[in-house]
Amino acid sequence: MLEIKELVTEFASVRALSGVSFTAATGKITTVIGANGAGKSTLLRTISGLERAAHGSIIWEGLDITKLSVEAIVRTGIAQVPEGHAVISQLSVAENIELGALFRKRKARADVAKSIAEVYELFPILFERKSQMAGALSGGERQMLAISRALVSRPKLLLLDEPSLGLAPLIAEQIINVINDLCRSTGLTVLLVEQNANTALSVADHGVLLALGKVVAQMPASQMIADESLRAAYLGY
Amino acid sequence: MTQFITAFFSGSSHGAIYALVSLGLVLVWRGAGVVNFAQMGQAMFTTYIASQMIMHKNSYWIAFVTALLAGAILGSIIDFGLMRPLSARKNSALLASESMRTTIPVIASLGVLGILKALAGIIWAGEERGFPSPVSTNGIKFGTTTLAFTAFDLFVIGIVLITLLLTTIFFTKTGMGLAMRASALNPEVTRLSGVRIKSVRTLSWAISGMASSLAGLLITPSTNLSPNTLDLLLIVGFTAAVKPTISWAISGMASSLAGLLITPSTNLSPNTLDLLLIVGFTAAVIGGLTSLVGAVVGGFAIGYVISFVNVYSSPENVFLAILIFLMLMLFLRPQGIFGAKEVRRV
Repeated sequence: MLEIKELVTEFASVRALSGVSFTAATGKITTVIGANGAGKSTLLRTISGLERAAHGSIIWEGLDITKLSVEAIVRTGIAQVPEGHAVISQLSVAENIELGALFRKRKARADVAKSIAEVYELFPILFERKSQMAGALSGGERQMLAISRALVSRPKLLLLDEPSLGLAPLIAEQIINVINDLCRSTGLTVLLVEQNANTALSVADHGVLLALGKVVAQMPASQMIADESLRAAYLGY
Repeated sequence: MTQFITAFFSGSSHGAIYALVSLGLVLVWRGAGVVNFAQMGQAMFTTYIASQMIMHKNSYWIAFVTALLAGAILGSIIDFGLMRPLSARKNSALLASESMRTTIPVIASLGVLGILKALAGIIWAGEERGFPSPVSTNGIKFGTTTLAFTAFDLFVIGIVLITLLLTTIFFTKTGMGLAMRASALNPEVTRLSGVRIKSVRTLSWAISGMASSLAGLLITPSTNLSPNTLDLLLIVGFTAAVKPTISWAISGMASSLAGLLITPSTNLSPNTLDLLLIVGFTAAVIGGLTSLVGAVVGGFAIGYVISFVNVYSSPENVFLAILIFLMLMLFLRPQGIFGAKEVRRV
């Protein structure tokens, strides 16, 4: 279980997150939705250690990870797929995937090979293109690669930042469905940040609505998707 | 024909050393984003250590290995003691802007160069000294002709080719090599993959330090060793040449050229390692600055230019030829032979 308690993140004089608190249950998809500038990406970056929390705490499976380094947080079983199909264009597809498992290679060589085989099974197009440079992939394939890089680290918590951003609706749906299936079949905990609230809430178990760095609502996703007043007030549709 | 063979082999030998310098520069540039002006200071200092050991009756090979290790340790110390604390202060007022964050480590590396030269002056009294070669430095006999190419040149080419082979294997076949490439290309994604990039950067400094020590050990038997003063004009010129825009490069080269024309001492003995750094920079820029293969190809290309100009023209024209070569490269292919053009996805 991931517990976010009174989290505050600041950039100089700007407070991007202002006392954010919520819980993401183990083996479930929790989606964080909100308009542009609501603090969704900052929230994920603070959990993964890329940004430092000014106040508050992040508790993951009973361990306070608030002050841990990015590298140490990855080793607790948290993997982040950043916004914008974050792959390394100048490395091959295979190298990008291998990179995600590099820190496990010495201790779990056999399992690394297995996890790599699994992501190729999940996204067969990546296997076909494994010797190509990542920069040559389409947007959807790059997103698949970014997710694969995260999955080969065998995460227990997957932080996904706008996985559907810039993708054709069909591809976005395919990727969201893969995440949903993974969560249901493996017990992976997912924290999904999305601007596309409808898509996110349709697969999520729980919804957290952020506005200007504050949690303005949190409830079961099915309830949130049906709440017209919330949608009209904060999501503009 | 004999002249051509001589020029070719001599160019290969010197080009191999320039390739090492260039490789060291590119490693630190790609790994840590720093143009390391201290590199030849590191090479000079560790070569003095080797020289001192040999003077105290240690074998050449023990001194050789010690100098390489000293190069790695010195590189690590520069990263630990200077570059890491500097990058940790990125939120300070002085380092608030991107340009200052890029510039300050470069200036710091110039400071390290000054410290190393001063230390060498204090410890070894600034004396100019020779450095032995493990093999003959007499020209190889080809029938009745003695070539201006020695067993030591063959030794240099052999050592450098082995080094390049090992470096290639390291970067393409090992996890640490992948981590080094990844952290240079995209530190954030690399960190999110669990790679400890601070350690990876220190390793870049260490390997670069070893490469420059090796260059120092290989160049000094054919020249001399001294803790020289720095020709700032040249360094400033080449700093500018590293900048990505042609106008900067041209202005940089113009100041280099001015420096060269007013500096009559272009022979290699008193300024050996400083000049080696400049040639290394040129090789790195020609190769593309971000490409390790380019660094090596650039090194050999410069080696051949120097050697052929030396043989077919005059030693005085060598640096003019290098600058013309560099200028042509920057006009025709500013990203270098192997450098990738910046592409913006839309």
